[in-house]
Amino acid sequence: MSIPVAQMVAVARYVLQQRLARRERYPLVLMLEPLFRCNLACTGCGKIQYPLSLLKKNLSLEECLAASDECGAPVVSIAGGEPLMHPRIAEIAAGLTARKRFVYLCTNALLLERKLPEFEPSAYLSFSVHMDGPRAEHDLAVCREGVYDVAVSAIRAALQRGFRVTTNTTLFDGADPSRMRAFFDEMMALGVEGMMISPGYSYEKAPDREHFLRRERSHRLFSRMLESPKKSWRFNQSPLFLQFLMGKRDFECTPWGNPTYNIFGWQRPCYLLQDGYARTFRELMEETDWSRYGRKSGNPRCQDCMVHCGFEPSAVRATFESPRGMGATALALVRGRP
Amino acid sequence: MIRARVSELVERAFDYRGYVTVRRSDGSELVGYVYHRDASHLELFDETATQRVRVALAEVVDIALTGEDAARKSQEIWERRKGTLEPRDTSAWGDWQEAGRVLVLVGLPIELRSVARALGGRPRGDRARGKLSGVEAVALAVGMGGGSLRAVEEERPRLLLSCGFAGALDPSLRPGDLVLASSVRDETGDRAPAPDSLLKPAAAALSGMRCRQGEILCTSAVAASAEEKRALAGPGLLALDMESYPAARAAASGGIPWLALRAIVDPLEASLPPFAREECESYLWPALKEALAGPGAAVRLVRLGLWARKAGLALEEALRRLAPALRVPEART
Repeated sequence: MSIPVAQMVAVARYVLQQRLARRERYPLVLMLEPLFRCNLACTGCGKIQYPLSLLKKNLSLEECLAASDECGAPVVSIAGGEPLMHPRIAEIAAGLTARKRFVYLCTNALLLERKLPEFEPSAYLSFSVHMDGPRAEHDLAVCREGVYDVAVSAIRAALQRGFRVTTNTTLFDGADPSRMRAFFDEMMALGVEGMMISPGYSYEKAPDREHFLRRERSHRLFSRMLESPKKSWRFNQSPLFLQFLMGKRDFECTPWGNPTYNIFGWQRPCYLLQDGYARTFRELMEETDWSRYGRKSGNPRCQDCMVHCGFEPSAVRATFESPRGMGATALALVRGRP
Repeated sequence: MIRARVSELVERAFDYRGYVTVRRSDGSELVGYVYHRDASHLELFDETATQRVRVALAEVVDIALTGEDAARKSQEIWERRKGTLEPRDTSAWGDWQEAGRVLVLVGLPIELRSVARALGGRPRGDRARGKLSGVEAVALAVGMGGGSLRAVEEERPRLLLSCGFAGALDPSLRPGDLVLASSVRDETGDRAPAPDSLLKPAAAALSGMRCRQGEILCTSAVAASAEEKRALAGPGLLALDMESYPAARAAASGGIPWLALRAIVDPLEASLPPFAREECESYLWPALKEALAGPGAAVRLVRLGLWARKAGLALEEALRRLAPALRVPEART
């Protein structure tokens, strides 16, 4: 596992504070979407299908910082759209890191190299570069030739300037486990700090809804990919979440763990589903009928979902909330395998 | 029965990734994007995506899906190009242009100096560069009246701001007062309304300053005397300049939004000295010559200098306050 010690300590302290305050539901990662426009139109993405005037809209610097203050989560994942297309993205990142938030700036890296001079390297800032597999698979997923090569070049440039870099990989049906293992080798050879992997979600508005992974196939794919993992591989994720992906343990979704804020407000109930918006974070947490979501609810949109935004917080809770979870995590770390 | 139909329409509108037209029981219509609904209300963004509107469901009579469905469009594009990839040399900005600069157009070097201070820079020749609230900006002194079209073509900005000094056409306006143009008009009566998406945030940013919103008249020659200005004054007209209208037309031809902001130098009942009719690099020598005409002329010149200073400071402060409202996203190609 490659999550920096400072981040682990900050998250552990935060979880402890929530437990002491007897909070049943609390956020771990703020999913901040400062804009919806993107320079790619990926086949599985359902995030950018909006009228032009909404695509042109940006959250202001002040709105982004206020959302982080309101939510209080120790980690902020800046998603979108392509965040580097936001005219004030460097200021947003700087404002969040100044608040000691661990920021993961998710990017397809097409603009990363030219934007790097606007950012300051920080222990709190990591570029999380979207890489959906080896060159051929990645370019196919993002529907453009050459994107893999641009991203690799940008990763090298960012590392050279002293930035933290991680990768995030979304997997769809048809992914080849042996090619993915080779891809993990390539990413580690590049020198990234860690990798994040997750199955894709069948967005209602995505062009391609046929190739998302159903639960059983997810288990098979992740088991084959992660069995006998190489020592060199580092995942920027909870080992318990990886075990969940492999079908070794089960979690219920905790959608409030990764609340989403964008131009419409606080998205209900999660990063993937849009059942409406709350005006305040408090309203989101207190007035959302959470019983309607998650596998147990019977909600058909939740049955095959195994996406990190719902289950990684469940895994983190499991780690920090019981000696058993702590032990399982420690064992996975010591053994170097999920 | 009717309510059940409305509920069904609301769910369809909520699921739709395009603009809808909501017809209300008073006969009024509202076009917007529905992003939220609950048991009693609908919430929409208006077409410019600047205003949120909350509509009681009890008022809704009908909802039509009138805008293009962005989800269907995305699906069609994907199906059309299935199996083929965008070429390697596609712009890194995709279908979007790189964010251009804000272009600030002024007429005269004296106006450029005030703008340059707001940009945090100094004039170099006919231009000044700097930033407005983090956004790259370039200010150009294009001379009295013209030059806007060429400047837009050369700079390809994301937004145009026409600003500088003006004469008052409204008797209540004093030196240093600001006029934010809701529209500009030329001498033939042709009007160009300022885009709401910029005007509203700009007006909000300037609240607290002595600023009026209304129409600016553009003339092709300087109206220097009180008589000339009185002859041009009319209902709704607040101020007089020579640049805002051509700037608005240049912005329209470049497909970019614009704003016009003026600081009043001479009130309606005041006349400018004759040399103000001519365009000069520096007004120092003409002013000295004028001062030699007698003590009355010298006093009028000192007063004009104070008014110009007041206007310059107001303009500088207004630009600083306006900056956040100018952070519009880049236009789509």
